[in-house]
Amino acid sequence: MKIAISYPPIVNERGQKAMVSQNRNVQFFKTPTYLLPVIQAQAATWLRDLGYKIRWDDGNAQLKTYDQWFKDLVKWRPDVIVFESTTPVMKFYWQTTKDLKKKLPNTIFIMTGYHSMRKPEESLIESPTDVVLKTNHIDFGLVSLIPYIEKHPNWRKTCDIEGLTIRLSKTKIRDTGAFRQVQPIDKSPIVDRDLIQWKNYAYENGNFLQTPGTYATSVIRDCMFGKCTFCRYNGPELTFSKISVEKSLDEYEMLINKYGVKEIFDDSGVWYRGADARKFAQGIIDRGLHKKGCYFGFNTRFEYLDEETIKLLAKANFRFVLIGLEAASNETLRKLNKGYQHKYIKPGLTWLTKYGLHPHMTIMVGYYWETQKMLNETVKFVEDLMFSGLARTLQVTLCTPLDYTPYHFETINKKVLLTNDYDDFDMSKIIVKTPIPHERYYEAVRKMYSIAYHPKFVFRQVMNLASFDKRNWQFLFTYGFRALRRVRNHMYNLTVYSKSSSRAKSKRVLRTSLHTQGAS
Amino acid sequence: MNTLQKVKVLGIRNLTESTYVLRTTRNNFEFVPGQCVNIGLVGGAVNREYSTYSSVNQKKYLEFLIKKVDGGLVSVGVSTLKPGNEVTLDGAYGRFVIEKPNSTQKYIFIASGTGIAPFHSYVKSYPGVDYQVLHGIRTASEQYDRKDYENNRYISCISGGVGGDFSGRVTDYLKSVILSKNAIYYLCGNHGMINDVYDILRTSKVNGSNIFTEVFF
Repeated sequence: MKIAISYPPIVNERGQKAMVSQNRNVQFFKTPTYLLPVIQAQAATWLRDLGYKIRWDDGNAQLKTYDQWFKDLVKWRPDVIVFESTTPVMKFYWQTTKDLKKKLPNTIFIMTGYHSMRKPEESLIESPTDVVLKTNHIDFGLVSLIPYIEKHPNWRKTCDIEGLTIRLSKTKIRDTGAFRQVQPIDKSPIVDRDLIQWKNYAYENGNFLQTPGTYATSVIRDCMFGKCTFCRYNGPELTFSKISVEKSLDEYEMLINKYGVKEIFDDSGVWYRGADARKFAQGIIDRGLHKKGCYFGFNTRFEYLDEETIKLLAKANFRFVLIGLEAASNETLRKLNKGYQHKYIKPGLTWLTKYGLHPHMTIMVGYYWETQKMLNETVKFVEDLMFSGLARTLQVTLCTPLDYTPYHFETINKKVLLTNDYDDFDMSKIIVKTPIPHERYYEAVRKMYSIAYHPKFVFRQVMNLASFDKRNWQFLFTYGFRALRRVRNHMYNLTVYSKSSSRAKSKRVLRTSLHTQGAS
Repeated sequence: MNTLQKVKVLGIRNLTESTYVLRTTRNNFEFVPGQCVNIGLVGGAVNREYSTYSSVNQKKYLEFLIKKVDGGLVSVGVSTLKPGNEVTLDGAYGRFVIEKPNSTQKYIFIASGTGIAPFHSYVKSYPGVDYQVLHGIRTASEQYDRKDYENNRYISCISGGVGGDFSGRVTDYLKSVILSKNAIYYLCGNHGMINDVYDILRTSKVNGSNIFTEVFF
């Protein structure tokens, strides 16, 4: 069987590309980061290992136009096409599936992604999709389903693999029940870098100080905390699982020695902590990988890493630490179930920077309860952290209710959600009623991004050069210029709906044809 | 919702060399049995999640079952605290709970090691519930507070050494008995145990909707 794992290029009327990958909520960017969809990549590798012919079909990363992508895919005549969808592009996917089905009537369309897994019937009603995978363990789902389809012509009626919603006919569907919550993810293979054309993802990524960089096969699926109300990794059907330290270390060794990778980022929701984190760092050192000129990075949470662990990570040449600072207000942190306290943010960052790591903060604004006072607190706190050198980089997003998360339900129950149009959930504007005008949040976004241009911040980076640490020089002279371009991009994207910008209040229309890609 | 708070340690009760029960004042801290709580040392800037161990009906104190981890700042640090010292509590979080405890419903609680903590809380909180605890442990000394479970409702499965009710892993026990398709299964412990038990349950045609899991890490 021929299986295409496909990501169509999606470009909006402003020429921005949708960053569909990794089951994240979609944002549109003129200069996108091409994120490797890790679980799909594992699925591709695993299916290839089972003898299937695989087409790794990421039209975004491959810089194709929609028309070219469409034409190439039709020409290949796959037996199965697998899509990853999410709320703001659902309508686009339904239309694309309809268009493809006309050309490929015998092809089986499988929809994956958090939106469709929470509302599987919808995609079967709105499009000719054949199967919705109700699991985020797409690799495990596909390696069960595809061989079954191959061996059983009557698969639609007989397949009882859990976690599927299957089309029986134009009007009938059947469901195979809840999917498995925990998978032994050590069984899923390490991503085959050649199969997924890894270099397409190795350069255009704001998280890399050095290139080529790459994403490791994630060591954690879902999140070990899994309680934050706004986050998708929160739900009775989502339970974290992890791969062994040794297996991950083997991959790092291979990436460095075989592919010459200079930066490896693990984009697990939250990376190892405690004993696993120390074992991993020690493993890097024992294998001599810390002396190969490659930096390592990961996501973590405040109050997860202690000083001794951080010290060991630094010794192992870890650099980039992405950490969510959702707000400076304790009230907001508690409402979000974040599980950390404001007063421990600075100590945590102090440990990280003391040992030369580069904390990157991800900040959110626009909660439906966020007052001007709370917002000011966040802006002031972020400025303080950036000017004092406790954080190196940041990104700010507008809090958008993600499908069927507790925060989403809250906004519905409290009647503060302003739209039901899926297109509006693309994080480009605030879509909840708030105690102050939306413009105030956009101003806050601009203010926080503007820190990158502030003399105090620049001065701090210059001062860092005195340490003669290579990464500080790289940060200012190599990365700095790239980063500033991205800052402009983020500011435009997140504040385009503000009064001061263009008349951009018209509905966003996704273009599906003839658009030259905007990667620069 | 609870406010973030400091609570006083009332005592540390050692169950084995590495496992103990932390008892603290409750201060009206609200939780649903099975939820977890972030515990931290005061001023420590690091916290860890632990499932509640005590009954929701016990208004005077909270208990947590904690295993010391080598190099673990919180698990080791808390074990050295004395009555009157304080810890921070935040939460409670999570959905590993019995939505509507029902005396006519059979519940099977399957745990490895300290994964028994939420089940202890269920049993102490919901006295009328029809349950069976299957506890996978390495040695007989890990039958934490066995006396708190009704007769014949606690079965220890001991993988190393002697003693207990069943010699072998909890998965071996499950393979040796007929599993009810109508029971609701709660699994808590390390992910290896949960993966293996999940497979056994599904092979026995237990519907995935009747299985709830909480992985300890």
